[in-house]
Amino acid sequence: MAAESPTSDRKVVVHLRATGDAPILKQAKFKIAGNDKFSKVIEFLRRQLRRDTLFVYVNSAFSPNPDELVIDLYNNFGFDGKLVVNYASSMAWG
Amino acid sequence: MGGHCLWDGTLAPNDFIASADDLAKKWKAEGYLALENMHQLSASEVNALTDDENYSVEEAPFDNATLIQSYNDDMHIYDFHIVYSFSYQVPVLYFRGYRCDGHPLHLCDIEKDLPPYSAKVRNESKWTFMTQEEHPYLCCPWYTLHPCGTNDWMKLLLGGDLRSKNPDMLHYLSAWLSVVGQTVGLRIPLELHYKSI
Repeated sequence: MAAESPTSDRKVVVHLRATGDAPILKQAKFKIAGNDKFSKVIEFLRRQLRRDTLFVYVNSAFSPNPDELVIDLYNNFGFDGKLVVNYASSMAWG
Repeated sequence: MGGHCLWDGTLAPNDFIASADDLAKKWKAEGYLALENMHQLSASEVNALTDDENYSVEEAPFDNATLIQSYNDDMHIYDFHIVYSFSYQVPVLYFRGYRCDGHPLHLCDIEKDLPPYSAKVRNESKWTFMTQEEHPYLCCPWYTLHPCGTNDWMKLLLGGDLRSKNPDMLHYLSAWLSVVGQTVGLRIPLELHYKSI
């Protein structure tokens, strides 16, 4: 832990944006520690929406691996000081 | 592609090739895309390694000489192929695993190699079941993830809420792989998702 880069200590603003027929959250923006894993964002969404199956993605480009660090996602794909995360409750897959 | 109707999440063969070209900087392409000789340590070894290092072992797959010597029998080797499905008009992932001595891995062995979130994804979504099917080019049995439902989530992923008629086909495969890779424990480097604007 001693060798952590200073940037991973910072907080990241995550903006949760509903797509499809997913319910919109009352609190769509929240702060999360940069060195938290993306799985924490997914868990937060699951709890808020009380749904087990969610499809979560970034930038209309990809679905991040749950082990990815939030700060890495922010540094690569954040803009306007926040990381926009889209979510959809999974459709009738399969 | 019909100009008027909304995109249905599929792609045409030429879009597959264009997107494959984009991805092929990292993968070997010959009608299908192949990523071969991925070394996976046995689950116990992986846990020991990932305690202090968050990167999955796949990130350094090509250092085979040293790896094979030090981990001998525990080493599992994986091959991944992306094949265009003409019936579903989407990419399909084929994969197989074997031990250093060439013995193929069964599905139960493979499942032990996968990270915990993979099982979660596979249990939650119906589309991610693994079956054994004939590899369309090599004509021998490989494991595959069934492509049904792929166009639905791809539509969501690339279409977004804009419902765009012109989705970013060039990045179709990297977007697709970000989802499919999670089910088979393939960690995709973030750089693959940069959009060259």
